Amino acid sequence: MTEQEKIALIEETLDLDEGTLTADTVLDDVDEYDSMAKLSLIVMMDDEFGKKLTGDVIKGFKTVGDILAEME
Amino acid sequence: MKSIIDLTDKRILIIGASSGIGKQCAITLSQVGAKVILAARREDKLREVLELLEGDGHGIKAMDVQDTENIEKCVKEIINEFGALDGMVYSAGVGTAIPLLQTKPEKIKQVFDINFFGFTEAVRQICRRGRYNPGMRIVGISSVASIRGDKSKTAYSSSKSAMDSAIRCIAREMADKDICINSVAPSMTATELYDRYIEKYGEDSDTNQDLLKRQYLGIAKTDDIANAVAFLLSPAARFITGITLPVDGGLTTC
Ligand SMILES: NC(=O)c1ccc[n+]([C@@H]2O[C@H](COP(=O)([O-])OP(=O)(O)OC[C@H]3O[C@@H](n4cnc5c(N)ncnc54)[C@H](OP(=O)(O)O)[C@@H]3O)[C@@H](O)[C@H]2O)c1
Repeated sequence: MTEQEKIALIEETLDLDEGTLTADTVLDDVDEYDSMAKLSLIVMMDDEFGKKLTGDVIKGFKTVGDILAEME
Repeated sequence: MKSIIDLTDKRILIIGASSGIGKQCAITLSQVGAKVILAARREDKLREVLELLEGDGHGIKAMDVQDTENIEKCVKEIINEFGALDGMVYSAGVGTAIPLLQTKPEKIKQVFDINFFGFTEAVRQICRRGRYNPGMRIVGISSVASIRGDKSKTAYSSSKSAMDSAIRCIAREMADKDICINSVAPSMTATELYDRYIEKYGEDSDTNQDLLKRQYLGIAKTDDIANAVAFLLSPAARFITGITLPVDGGLTTC
């Protein structure tokens, strides 16, 4: 999966318009990044990458790039 | 002195007995005299639970309820080995949290396979002639989620509501056969499920703190649930059928 495809997957997961995010986007600046969005990331990571994200890992996410780093 | 809850020599099948609420039910029921058959997927864990039981005549059966077609075979083997049942506890379950936009039909089906279809199929199989003794009592482990809405709980809550609805119908249909069926609806209880919840949200998270405000008697211990199950399985509860008993530290009063 290319970086662009991964970003598109994050946008779909957070129900954002295509092209809203880049790797540098700061998550605190994204209004939609709330507790349900975090839960959506947990489900997506499990479904797509077979990874179980813990609360601590999620807390560590500052930018979209941090999420991308977990998507492998 | 006579104990009101007495299950001496009653043969009770517990599905989902390898951990959490089902494990505690096994221990508690053995303490009031029952002979329990422990079922779940992890045989090593079932053996560990077996060691904790009081009395003798208990047994184990490895069983995956997700494979609903296999339940009939497992129930037949259980009856052949241990004899007809006096009761069953269905504690197998998965407690999923999935936001609506990711709640695809196959996700709902995965949850229903274990929480609901496994339950109705196990009940259907043990309610056949020759597989139960008169006065059999069944208890499903439901959840307060059955009657409360919560974010991300569409699949889980629906599966528990389905269980409770089924129980009301089965209670009426099976009354003539001298079979009673009820469910217990716990709120948050200290099991591996709660550990995973804390791992996901964190102890100090708003989600957990909100929960503790609503569930004002605190987090339930597994004995709190097992004691209610023991009562509902006992002849002392002979006049109770088709109900869902909240064991919820006050949550549903809020
Ligand atoms: N803990 C709570 O706060 C809480 C609150 C309300 C309701 N409940 C309900 O209580 C029930 C028990 O939960 P718990 O907290 O005790 O969770 P738990 O410790 O995770 O126990 C779940 C049990 O279900 C068994 N199980 C899961 N999938 C199975 C399968 N496919 N086939 C056979 N057995 C299976 C597990 O055994 P194996 O993995 O060995 O198969 C285990 O014995 C669940 O129905 C849950 O929804 C729990």
